[in-house]
Amino acid sequence: MDYRVHLAKRMLTNKKGSLIGAVLAVSIGILVIHVNFVIFQGLYDAIVRDLKDYRFGDILVTDEENYIDKADIALINWFERIPEVEAATARMDSSASINATNNGKKTEEFRIPVVGVDPLRDTHVSTIHNTVGDGQYVFARNSIVLGSRVARDLGDIQVGDDVKLKFVSRYGEDKLRRFIVTGITSSAGGQGLDGSAVVHIDTLRSLLGRTDETGAILVKLNDPTKAVEIKDLFLRSFPTDDFKAETIEESAEAQLSGFRSGIALINLIGYFGMMSSAFAIVTIQMMLVSSKTREIGIMRAIGAKRKDILIIFIVQGMIIGVIGAAAGTALGLAYTFYAKETKMEFQGSLALEVTYNWEKTIQTALTSFVLAIVASIYPAFRATRLLPVEAMRSV
Amino acid sequence: MNKIYGEGETAVNALRDVSFSVKKGELLLIVGSSGSGKSTLLNMIGLLDRPTSGKVFLDGIDTTTLNDSELSSFRNSKLGFVFQFANLLSDLTVLENILLPRKIQRTNESTVDDAKKLLRTVGLEKQMNNRANKISGGQAQRAAIARGLINSPSIVLADEPTGNLDSVTAEIIVQLMKSLVKKLGQTFIIVTHDKHQFGDVDRIITIKDGHAFEGEEQRGMEVAAS
Repeated sequence: MDYRVHLAKRMLTNKKGSLIGAVLAVSIGILVIHVNFVIFQGLYDAIVRDLKDYRFGDILVTDEENYIDKADIALINWFERIPEVEAATARMDSSASINATNNGKKTEEFRIPVVGVDPLRDTHVSTIHNTVGDGQYVFARNSIVLGSRVARDLGDIQVGDDVKLKFVSRYGEDKLRRFIVTGITSSAGGQGLDGSAVVHIDTLRSLLGRTDETGAILVKLNDPTKAVEIKDLFLRSFPTDDFKAETIEESAEAQLSGFRSGIALINLIGYFGMMSSAFAIVTIQMMLVSSKTREIGIMRAIGAKRKDILIIFIVQGMIIGVIGAAAGTALGLAYTFYAKETKMEFQGSLALEVTYNWEKTIQTALTSFVLAIVASIYPAFRATRLLPVEAMRSV
Repeated sequence: MNKIYGEGETAVNALRDVSFSVKKGELLLIVGSSGSGKSTLLNMIGLLDRPTSGKVFLDGIDTTTLNDSELSSFRNSKLGFVFQFANLLSDLTVLENILLPRKIQRTNESTVDDAKKLLRTVGLEKQMNNRANKISGGQAQRAAIARGLINSPSIVLADEPTGNLDSVTAEIIVQLMKSLVKKLGQTFIIVTHDKHQFGDVDRIITIKDGHAFEGEEQRGMEVAAS
């Protein structure tokens, strides 16, 4: 082993306090970035997951102008022939006023979003049925599932109560219909249909006077990475229709764009934290240089060149960087593992969608390693400027 | 050579027109009172500092023309150092300390065997794997002598090598250095304020107020050459 590497190693291991301090500075910097990633990227991915599962699917097909007038079953069959497609379903969106009478008190809520679903197909594409905590999902033409916020605003409507909905049909006529509440839906994080009502799609079509029309087709893929490819294939296959097909990222762009900026800012703060670690290394390395002034003088006296002294302290930076990056990455991955296995959530909010991002993990470790070396350059340079005679006078 | 510290009115002439030469295999004592300039002179000879004017020739080479890197190589190959406080690297073992000048030189010679031979010569073979800060002052000084000899230098420079030792240990170190002069023909330049400790030596140069004089006492004759 080169004597400079050997000496750098010995000097560091014999100054355990400094070594531990410098390694902690690097590893905490990395850990902060991992924790930020787990929480904020996990939250972002959880929102994407829930929006996909509850509202948009992997691909959402709508009509550029109005409702889709092609038969929904034709489109669903087209998608389901593709091996990468797991299932597809039709949905219809509208809004209605809802009346309820509870304990003799009449309550009315206006412009409540109403989602029409195909109860048989929807459960294969969406997991919204799993958010029905009380009662069961829509199963009959006159059943309705109320979002928890709607049920509360209507005076704590319970399963088994009935409500009256007033729609405006495509011809401008008011259409009244009584439904029996079969379930109350409530999603962690509120990305589900907590503020909506869910009814049978055929009922909604009938009430709106759009019996042959569909609001949207939700497509679930068994390989979500093929979303763009399948979307493009769909649009190419129906060139004369006014279809609009979007992947989840495109459909949820409005909800996600602000959040993405927030994540970028948090990441930036994380990297500033890493810079603080670099300053800590500079300080610790300066202390090491200061405590080794006499040794530097001795080495210079017996023939070590400035370059050799520089290498010794740069190697120390590399050792700190390697150990710190390894420890920080191990701690970060342990935290990620814990968050993933425990399906980490905060105060009943949605469970984080935790993933291992190996590219980011390696990038963070390498950045820390490089920063530890860069942070050692100035102290190392200072060490080379010491004159042997002056340095040896140091006690 | 001359060495002046500071400038203008605060300038101090640490060495004034000092000129002498040393023969191979000679044991030369540089004596003088504290602050006389003897350590400054040793630093000039040891290429650890540069004279303000004048030249230092070593093995016929004018060292004042060498750059910092060349000086380092020169110190490594031509000079051995023994300091008052041994100045071993506490992070290394005794053996590693002795090997350090050879490692700096990065030669392919059988370094460990040479080092062990030297350790036997100075009587430290049993301590060779001890950390440098775990041996006594006398042992450390013997290790420092071995380190000074590992690269077979032209001159070993010793600055108050017994200054930090008790009288018994100091005597052991003195006898060791004298035996090395006889056995290896090694040139030693030793700075000391206690010349009596060394008994008979080949030459003595006395430094007083920056001037160098041949012999033990000032005889009114500055050393020009010998």
